[in-house]
Amino acid sequence: MTFLGMPLLRSKHAHSDLPGGQGNIVETEAFPEVSHEHLSNQQLRNNIGHATSTIRSKRAEVVSELDDWEKLRNAGEATKNEVMANLPEYLAQFEEAFTATGGIIHWARDADEANAIVTELIEDNAPVLETGRREVIKVKSMATQEIGLNEHLETQGIDAFETDLAELIVQLGEDKPSHILVPAIHRNRDEIRDIFMKTMPDAGQLTNEPAVLAEAARKHLRHKFLTTKVAISGANFGIAETGTLGVVESEGNGRMCLTLPETLITVMGIEKLLPRFADLEVFLQLLPRSSTGERMNPYTSFWTGRTEGDGPQNVHLVLLDNGRTRALADEHGRTALNCIRCSACMNVCPVYERTGGHAYGSTYPGPIGAILSPLLTGVEDEANGTLPYASSLCGACYDVCPVKINIPEILVHLRAEDVEANHSPVSTQLDAALTGASWMMGDGKRMTAVEKGLPLAHKATRGKQIDALPGIAGAWTSSRDIPALPEKSFRQQWADEEAQRSGTGAQTGDEEGQR
Amino acid sequence: MTDTAREEILARINEALGRRGGGEYVSSNPRSTTSAPGVAGPEATAADAGYHHEGTHTGEDLVELLIDRLVDYKANVHRASGDPAGTIAELISDHSSIVVPRGLESAWPAGFSGEVNVDAPGEELSVDELDAQGAVVTASAVAIAQTGTIVLDGSAECGRRAITLVPDHHVCVVRVRDIVDIVPEGIARLDANAALTFISGPSATSDIELSRVEGVHGPRTLDVVILSE
Ligand code: SF4
Repeated sequence: MTFLGMPLLRSKHAHSDLPGGQGNIVETEAFPEVSHEHLSNQQLRNNIGHATSTIRSKRAEVVSELDDWEKLRNAGEATKNEVMANLPEYLAQFEEAFTATGGIIHWARDADEANAIVTELIEDNAPVLETGRREVIKVKSMATQEIGLNEHLETQGIDAFETDLAELIVQLGEDKPSHILVPAIHRNRDEIRDIFMKTMPDAGQLTNEPAVLAEAARKHLRHKFLTTKVAISGANFGIAETGTLGVVESEGNGRMCLTLPETLITVMGIEKLLPRFADLEVFLQLLPRSSTGERMNPYTSFWTGRTEGDGPQNVHLVLLDNGRTRALADEHGRTALNCIRCSACMNVCPVYERTGGHAYGSTYPGPIGAILSPLLTGVEDEANGTLPYASSLCGACYDVCPVKINIPEILVHLRAEDVEANHSPVSTQLDAALTGASWMMGDGKRMTAVEKGLPLAHKATRGKQIDALPGIAGAWTSSRDIPALPEKSFRQQWADEEAQRSGTGAQTGDEEGQR
Repeated sequence: MTDTAREEILARINEALGRRGGGEYVSSNPRSTTSAPGVAGPEATAADAGYHHEGTHTGEDLVELLIDRLVDYKANVHRASGDPAGTIAELISDHSSIVVPRGLESAWPAGFSGEVNVDAPGEELSVDELDAQGAVVTASAVAIAQTGTIVLDGSAECGRRAITLVPDHHVCVVRVRDIVDIVPEGIARLDANAALTFISGPSATSDIELSRVEGVHGPRTLDVVILSE
């Protein structure tokens, strides 16, 4: 029985009528299909594997330097919870402070509205060049990627140049980012050289040395930085108390965009606020260490509205909803909005490590993408229905998250929502399996109990490879063999491997330490 | 258009949070309050979870820690006491012209024989002029030892943001009294309303196969002169 085309079960969810977001947060193909393609791409797997393990160990090292790390995480979590609980007040406070110093705020309900606002601002402030088009420079920003700004601007006669080296590689290669921190990590130096030589008119002959390639990018963008009238950025933080915005970066392209043009347009999700300037003392410790594994990133810029005589004098901010209020309405999922986009969770995720970011079909890949995208869009039209299954629920993402988002718990919650919304009450095999899996994986004790059965099952199948399964699992086994049942559980193996890698001996994650 | 959007988004948030009614939120005097009206103050929140607010390093240990972290981030570190003019002159001797902010101690670049351009309000150098400078010499507001971070705050002796960005060589003087141990101590000394730039080593990228390359768009060389009184 349906009501206005919506599954009856939706009515149980108090706020499901809030509109979902649009743009690059909807998977266009189901995760299992795309991930299958990417699993066969050896280079991608190697590059991603190398990147994630390198960043992972750097992160672990700098985090271990701080003996108050757990307290900082608690503070980060509490601060973001405080923001979400008082969001209207903090937004109003931010608006007043930012406006008092000459900044102008625009509110956008969804991607289309945000794109239209930015377009209009560019048309008012960027001249038409000889080519008949307008140009803007951009700092890497998840929010503008989410709303598909570059693609929209292109149709409006505006060329948006990405200035972050990795984003530039992705843009010139007509490609998509595969990681939120190092978006071009799926490309090797030879490919990057070829892309540069093909697309940079005055690059000349280049070797594949990273220093040579970085220099080519510097030359390529220098003139644009010094002459372009309008820049577009995102923001890592907005401070409610003072109306301050902040961008964290490495290369100085951010500083160029935030400082040299006459007009600066920033697009920021409404969830990015922090209450007080002093809260930066927590977040400027949590973010760089979790993200690049550095004690501090090379450059961080803060600006409050307009600064007389210093930097852009025409300063705009677009505050974006695009499904965030919908996510906020989900009591079990709202903490996903606490995310500060550090990317630590994807670097520890065994599923991400093997599929890469493209498989998630969204601006937000990895464990956070698997919960954030469905929360922003809603799962009931099956938009992102398969994403919550893109996880082994091993819990590593929760352990590293600087603001303690319990990703596994939200994944299980979203799976249940998807099953309710998208699968008929008369159980299919998949529904039954998923419901069972949710039940089992929703509780660490049950999970452990099942894992304890593994060695037995291993004996029963005599360690043989299983190459065909009946029913729903047949689709899976027809394209690959299910490996022999392991002697140890995945979580235990993972913990052992990590322990070996970090040389700390075989301390497993399980208290029982089953051996 | 956007006014309606504002009201609608605020209404959506209220609905999402399960609040009845909602309505207009107007705060007053945001700069003197520590949190929005109706929101518990910072003491009453869980935001302070007992992490460190003060470091443990003092005196020469503190300076050594800063130097260690700066070097780790590929900055060049030099020490001077009293008058840094000799050290600065040596560092910039290869250039034919430099830029300094209006409020910089005039004695500091005095040993330089090339052209010294002063960037001042109303007499700002154009970007092309900045691009032609060999180096920039500035002071700094705060330095955080634990993370090797130097903060510029747009004051008369730090200058506006563009002057430390466009020239390829930045010579930055850090006074020992401006060094703090950890990030919270650094944040506490800063004014949010200033245009702030945190610098930890020179510009760098790791975007190509994760190999670090110093100097992409910002200055490729960062010389830090630690000045004791
Ligand atoms: S969910 Fe947590 S770990 Fe993942 S990107 Fe966001 S803040 Fe970082």
